[in-house]
Amino acid sequence: MTSEITLNHYLWVSGLLFALGIAGVVIRRNALVIFMALEMNLNAANLALIAFSKYNKIVDGQVLVFFIIAIAAAEVAVGLAIIVALFKRKQTVSVNELNSMRL
Amino acid sequence: MNLYATQLECLLVILGLGTLLTDAFRPGGDRRKLGYLLATLVTITLLYSFTLAPTADTFFHGMYRLDSFALFFKRLFLLATAFVLLMGAEFVERFETGVAEFYALVLLAATGMLVIASVNDFILLFVALELVTITFYILTAFLRRQVQSLEAGTKYLILGALSSGFTVYGIAYIFGTTGTTNFDKLATLLSAGGSGSAFLLGMLLVLTGLGFKVASVPFQIWAPDVYQGAPTPVTAFLAVGSKAAGFALLLRVMLAGLLPVSAVWMPVLLVLAAATLGYGNLGAISQRNIKRLLGYSSIGHAGYMLMGLAAGNALGSQAVLFYLGQYAFTNLCAFLVIIAVGREEIADYAGLGKRSPILGAALFLAMASLAGIPPLSGFFGKFQLFAAVIEAAQTNWHYYILAGIGAGAVVVSLYYYFNVGRAIYIEEAKDTTPIPVSLPVRAGLYVCMLAMIGLGIYQQPLVEAATLAAGIFGLK
Repeated sequence: MTSEITLNHYLWVSGLLFALGIAGVVIRRNALVIFMALEMNLNAANLALIAFSKYNKIVDGQVLVFFIIAIAAAEVAVGLAIIVALFKRKQTVSVNELNSMRL
Repeated sequence: MNLYATQLECLLVILGLGTLLTDAFRPGGDRRKLGYLLATLVTITLLYSFTLAPTADTFFHGMYRLDSFALFFKRLFLLATAFVLLMGAEFVERFETGVAEFYALVLLAATGMLVIASVNDFILLFVALELVTITFYILTAFLRRQVQSLEAGTKYLILGALSSGFTVYGIAYIFGTTGTTNFDKLATLLSAGGSGSAFLLGMLLVLTGLGFKVASVPFQIWAPDVYQGAPTPVTAFLAVGSKAAGFALLLRVMLAGLLPVSAVWMPVLLVLAAATLGYGNLGAISQRNIKRLLGYSSIGHAGYMLMGLAAGNALGSQAVLFYLGQYAFTNLCAFLVIIAVGREEIADYAGLGKRSPILGAALFLAMASLAGIPPLSGFFGKFQLFAAVIEAAQTNWHYYILAGIGAGAVVVSLYYYFNVGRAIYIEEAKDTTPIPVSLPVRAGLYVCMLAMIGLGIYQQPLVEAATLAAGIFGLK
């Protein structure tokens, strides 16, 4: 029995990361932690793309990864600014408190 | 040649960056006039776009197309941008700071939308999509001293990032199983051979992720809160620009790239369309805030347009384009009135017909067109969508259920749209002071009303443009 790391191993890890990310968004109530979980989703996709690129020997996936990293950085810059502004105004970042607009 | 194909985008980027510089060179200038100027320049760009001819070539290594479909959407986005800039100029007093930045962000988001119209590759799709989405995070939270705007921004941020995660994870699987990100190559590969379950997983993830932009189930939950909390010009841009961008992507991905596996995604879209119709129209019934009402209504309308896409025939895709075109005028009209009145509770619109006949008439026409009352353009749009679904039902009886749900949604929607109509003309006003309407807003309202009535009676020009644009997919 060989113990080589195959594409499937990478995909399982990436799937696990993605599932953790989704679970974090659903379960946690702190906007910052949710945002962290969302970044994990993107990185799960990055891992899958790199693995696919390596095993299929096509470089397109790795090109996309660079774009995703850059875009994720932009998203963090904007996202944290919004969350900080929200904290300044409300003194909390719990998503349970985001309820000024109910019926 | 590549640069020539992207000239409209280049123009908007130059305009946007130039606008940013005005704060450095002319601080304290008249920002309202700047808005009118930019709206005029974008209108000129829109007129200029009619001199461009569609081409079958691809640009940037097959990533970018300038076909009739792309041009149709580019013109739609330019129209929406011009109106949103006009709304921004009317909104100037309500922004505390950063009006020039606001205009610049609108122009940059518009650039992203123009690229979206031409996308022919998943890599470009993701980059253009995020350019629009991230810009909209800022725009939504732009009134940063108001809790509602910040809450709207946070909600849009969380759900937007979640849907981006879905999209990009789906793209990873589509790329991994087919080895390409190009739509044309994908279509060739898929029609040649079968598709495994890993590929289908990727496709469904992309489909749900793109559904966020159009506010379809399962990513519809943001729409009411974000529509209510965002500054009104941004809400209008979300309803008209962002939604059309979502449909441009859905149409292009599903009909250009993934058409060979339509047997898989059509039933999914059928269910999503039905669920979206139900959620939007039932949710709207009890709303008292007009922006929130339009948020639910926009979910409902996403459902109608998904019906056309789910039908998967030539009439359906053409009907979606026609619907988007007339929906733009209708929604822009409604939001122009909301900005001019400056109040958001439906009760505040009591007696609007007496306080300002033009605002009352414009909002009433917009609501009637959204409800689909003949002879307004909304009626013909819905008529075509239902005709497409009935045509699809000839081969698959499940579509009769979808048509039934759609008909039920129309009946329900009559109630809440006419609630607004009743406020305008029947209820007595508490405050009877006339509302001043500035000349540019008046002009904008006349254009929208003319389009709503004109496209309802004489549909030919827009139908022809939509047929030409949808023709690139070669559907039957």
